[in-house]
Amino acid sequence: MTNTTTPRGDAPSAPAPVGTGSTGTRVLGAVALVLVALTALYGLVISPPDRQLGETIRIIYMHVPTVSVAYIAFIITAVSSAMYLWKRTEFWDLLGASSAELGVLFFALTILEGALWGKTTWGTFWEWEPRLTTSAVLLLVYIGYLAVRAIPADARTRATRSAIIGLVAVVNIPIVHKAVDWWRGLHQGRTVMSTIDPEMGGSQLVAMYLALLAGLIVFVWLLIHRFRVAFLAERAADSGLEHAIEQRRVEGATS
Amino acid sequence: MTEAWWYIVAAWGATLGGVGIYATLLLRKGRRLSRVVPPEDRRWM
Amino acid sequence: MADYLAQIRLVLVKDLRLELRSRIALGQVLPFAVLVLFLFAFALDPDGDVLEVATPGLFWVTVLFSAVLILQRTFALEADDGVLDALRLSGLAPSAIFLGKVSALVVQLLVLEAVLAVGVAVLYDVTFSGIGLLVLVALSATVGIAASGAIYGALSARLKSRDTLLPVLLLPLLAPVLISATRGFEIGLRHEAGGGWSWIGLLSVFALAYLALGAVLFRPLLEDA
Repeated sequence: MTNTTTPRGDAPSAPAPVGTGSTGTRVLGAVALVLVALTALYGLVISPPDRQLGETIRIIYMHVPTVSVAYIAFIITAVSSAMYLWKRTEFWDLLGASSAELGVLFFALTILEGALWGKTTWGTFWEWEPRLTTSAVLLLVYIGYLAVRAIPADARTRATRSAIIGLVAVVNIPIVHKAVDWWRGLHQGRTVMSTIDPEMGGSQLVAMYLALLAGLIVFVWLLIHRFRVAFLAERAADSGLEHAIEQRRVEGATS
Repeated sequence: MTEAWWYIVAAWGATLGGVGIYATLLLRKGRRLSRVVPPEDRRWM
Repeated sequence: MADYLAQIRLVLVKDLRLELRSRIALGQVLPFAVLVLFLFAFALDPDGDVLEVATPGLFWVTVLFSAVLILQRTFALEADDGVLDALRLSGLAPSAIFLGKVSALVVQLLVLEAVLAVGVAVLYDVTFSGIGLLVLVALSATVGIAASGAIYGALSARLKSRDTLLPVLLLPLLAPVLISATRGFEIGLRHEAGGGWSWIGLLSVFALAYLALGAVLFRPLLEDA
């Protein structure tokens, strides 16, 4: 694999990269792996079980980063959607779509972790508690984004549709939060976050921060690669079309 | 107490595994696509 | 300003006239909605308390499903007849087109809800106390449903998969409306304690947010989506 830096208007004489990697992403990826390893070390081994949650706090070490990353991803999608509608450049469209896909992935993982945590703590995989319910609703909303994105259309149409949904969906986030909190918060039932000991000390805090940092770096790494894949996909579609037109032209000339 | 550990393993495994699988598929797709795309077009933004 | 309001009125009248001629909300969806009320009564025990306690939720679920049907039918009609393109080229401000459509939808939905309320009062033997609260909840919820529905309805109008896509897009988005409207009705029907004002507040925020969003987004929606 050729070793190139992320090109931005480089001279064309630099060799074309194979795949979506670059020096930048390789460094980032290495940092991410180190952080994940450290998180595992602190989260699973070094940090003690929580006074209130016991060992199950170790699931929370995963849960907080994934949910944070998901929200960041959806905000990026929203900003990209607005920027696309303003600037109409491919960059914003691809960024928004890439971020949305990652958001859905991390949200789904968040719900899965929440369910596993619930099983250990409450004995059931699902409770209609605020966090899980909100996540489930928002996951469905953003799956809609991906569904519309998958509909074949020309680039501008698809981008416009996606941008509209990206903005419509993000506005819903705070409203869903409030509605679900007021609704399920009234029922002094089991909640995920309220039982966290705010006095998380020492190595627990380290584990938490490491996990958050790891999550963010992993997200950025994934986003860069996802964006590049999307970009290549567009180019492939363009060149595929040109190739087909060229074929027809050749056929027309020889017939 | 040891019961909880199965779920902890499951949670960590699903998360890291899920992200790992996604990343692998993503990188593979990137390589496949960059073979199809002519070299001049491979520079991104 | 007067001109702008006239544009809204123009679209509102056009849409209501379309409704009167095609009888979508009244002729097709309303019977469906009443039928759903019966179905719920069959499914749940009408003699016990279950039906009475569940009434607010059942009412609003029925309204949501009916709203999706109305949206599907009206936008399908318009897309197939090229009306959306005609509107785009008409020179009317897109935000005015949006607000006109939302107004027409609000009218249709309020009529539907009124009939459903009568149906619920008769069939489920429910008494409506706290009318003021109920009306405000219904109004704010309906505007929110109409605004978000108009955005997604227009977006999916030209798609072949619109019939399955619209509910998948719209219903999760309306989850907070369902939650809030149901809680508001529960309080209005004196099943629950507490003030309903926070729910009305939340419903109003939803309505205003999507009215604003729709007004801004309708231009790119009509042109490119």
